[in-house]
Amino acid sequence: MSKKKKITTSTGVEVRHKPLGLRIWNNRGYYLMFLPVFVFILVMYYWPMLGIRYAFYDYKPVGAPTFVGLKHFYSMFKTDAFWSAFRNTLELSIMKLLITTFTAVIVSIFLNEMGNLFAKKTLQTIIYLPHFMSWAVVASIFSLFLSPSSTGLVNGLLRDWGILAPDAKGIYFLASTAWWRPIFYLINIWKETGWGTIIFLATLAGINPELYEAADIDGATRMQKMRFVTLPALANTIITVLILNLAKVMNMFESVFVLYNNAVYSVSDVISTYIYRQTFAIALPNYGYSTAVGLFKSLVGCVLVLVCNWASKKTRGRGIV
Amino acid sequence: MAKTAYRKPKKKVHVFDIVNYIVFILIGLLVLVPIWKVVVDSFNAVGVYQFRLWPEDFTLDGYKTIIHTQRLYRPFINSVITTALGTLLGLLLSTLGGYVLIQFDMPGRNSFAYFLLFTMIFSGGMIPEYLVMKQLHLVNSMWILVVKHGMNVYNLVLMRNFFEGIPASLFEAAEIDGCSPMGIFFKIVLPLSKAALASIGLMFAVTVWNDYSTVKIYITNPDQVNFQYQLRNMIMDGDTPTTQYSVSQNTLFYAAIVCAILPFMALYPFLQKYFVKGVNIGAVKE
Repeated sequence: MSKKKKITTSTGVEVRHKPLGLRIWNNRGYYLMFLPVFVFILVMYYWPMLGIRYAFYDYKPVGAPTFVGLKHFYSMFKTDAFWSAFRNTLELSIMKLLITTFTAVIVSIFLNEMGNLFAKKTLQTIIYLPHFMSWAVVASIFSLFLSPSSTGLVNGLLRDWGILAPDAKGIYFLASTAWWRPIFYLINIWKETGWGTIIFLATLAGINPELYEAADIDGATRMQKMRFVTLPALANTIITVLILNLAKVMNMFESVFVLYNNAVYSVSDVISTYIYRQTFAIALPNYGYSTAVGLFKSLVGCVLVLVCNWASKKTRGRGIV
Repeated sequence: MAKTAYRKPKKKVHVFDIVNYIVFILIGLLVLVPIWKVVVDSFNAVGVYQFRLWPEDFTLDGYKTIIHTQRLYRPFINSVITTALGTLLGLLLSTLGGYVLIQFDMPGRNSFAYFLLFTMIFSGGMIPEYLVMKQLHLVNSMWILVVKHGMNVYNLVLMRNFFEGIPASLFEAAEIDGCSPMGIFFKIVLPLSKAALASIGLMFAVTVWNDYSTVKIYITNPDQVNFQYQLRNMIMDGDTPTTQYSVSQNTLFYAAIVCAILPFMALYPFLQKYFVKGVNIGAVKE
């Protein structure tokens, strides 16, 4: 009995610790409950990690994998389509992040200024709605609206307003390299602005009303109060939102996947869609090459998460993972 | 009492308030008009580009076509089945995992937490995942949707954060009364977590129902695809199934969109707080 470990807590109270074996036995029920989660995580997340080794193999749907070293990485870094996809990933997701954050901040400030609670609640209900529509649905809706056919809403209106000649062919927005990105950002604004306001509204609700009262006494106008009280209060939240989302920029996939087409690859193709096409849209895919591109994406993503985690700890005292 | 000349001072109407109301209405319309056009056009027999408040030529043919065309109703049923099962599996795994993660005197608890968190930082990637699923015979099967979304580490952590808010004295009391871990889980933890179960369950349901890319990557068999996939394929890739109905393409497309959003749009006004709460559960703990 003398071997029993003694642990002293910070308050100086002596706690007798049970031996490890007994503690494990006492918690056997919990281990059993964790088992299904453990199995799922192992199979769904860790088993695929073993497959990363194929990045160094030639691996085709037929035949055994053969080791090729860094061949895929050399050919990847020499491929223009890969670099274009990498650039597009960064440009599209960072621009999207900045634009939707900006619109969300503006809309939250308007919502915050609305004195009529019923109007405020109603608008909130409405603008959260598109967030729950799938990307497939949103892409379908807007491709119908933007279609160059006679039933396309936008081209029809452009003819009505005299911007397009009545007999002119409609603009094929989603297949135009000039239009694809602006349309992509607009659709993102439509879908995600409302949802993005939630976090800013929570911050605004937490602003000490005394600050506004003090500003009133100083004779501040409404605009001045927005400029000098509301916006500074939002600054921290804006930075948090940007950091949290910066960690995910490499993940951009479905929103592009549903909206792009072969006419606009140069401005829309991102890493994940590139991987998809290299694997599932060509006749004889080399899983090795796609895995190598995927590994590059995972590594960049991992670095971004760690950097953002560090930045988050610096700015708000807690990490993101 | 004689009437006094006193009049309540009129509430001053600021220009700003008027501008704010106008902006409000504009924002609301920007969101609602596209959705309303979809709904109206799904009942309109003639395809028009204009925005109409009501259908000009009312018809239900779009919906009838969907109900009677196997290539359209089959994916809808698949969506319902996978969403239901995916949500159940998701709730089961995230509650079990979340509950185990709050057992602070369990040896190995920290290792389990890191085991889970690492998956949020690093992943095998699309192709290694595909190769694993192929070995598990989940390629070309709709069960991939259930399995893939059933395990979600982020939701598990949300669940754990919620469980942490349950007073520990409740667990201790139950333990003293001789309740087993499973007993505590089912008799105390779950009944106290109805709100979290509703919000996180909705998050699972929305994810599974809305998934398009998993189906596009893993499934080629038309019997196994879900409705989102069929919808996008039909509208954007021109893969319209042949039907015995002479329905205008436009009507059919818009009716299909309505079917794809109907389940959640119908629930949304009633369950809005649960839909929105999910974001805040994570923020409660701080």
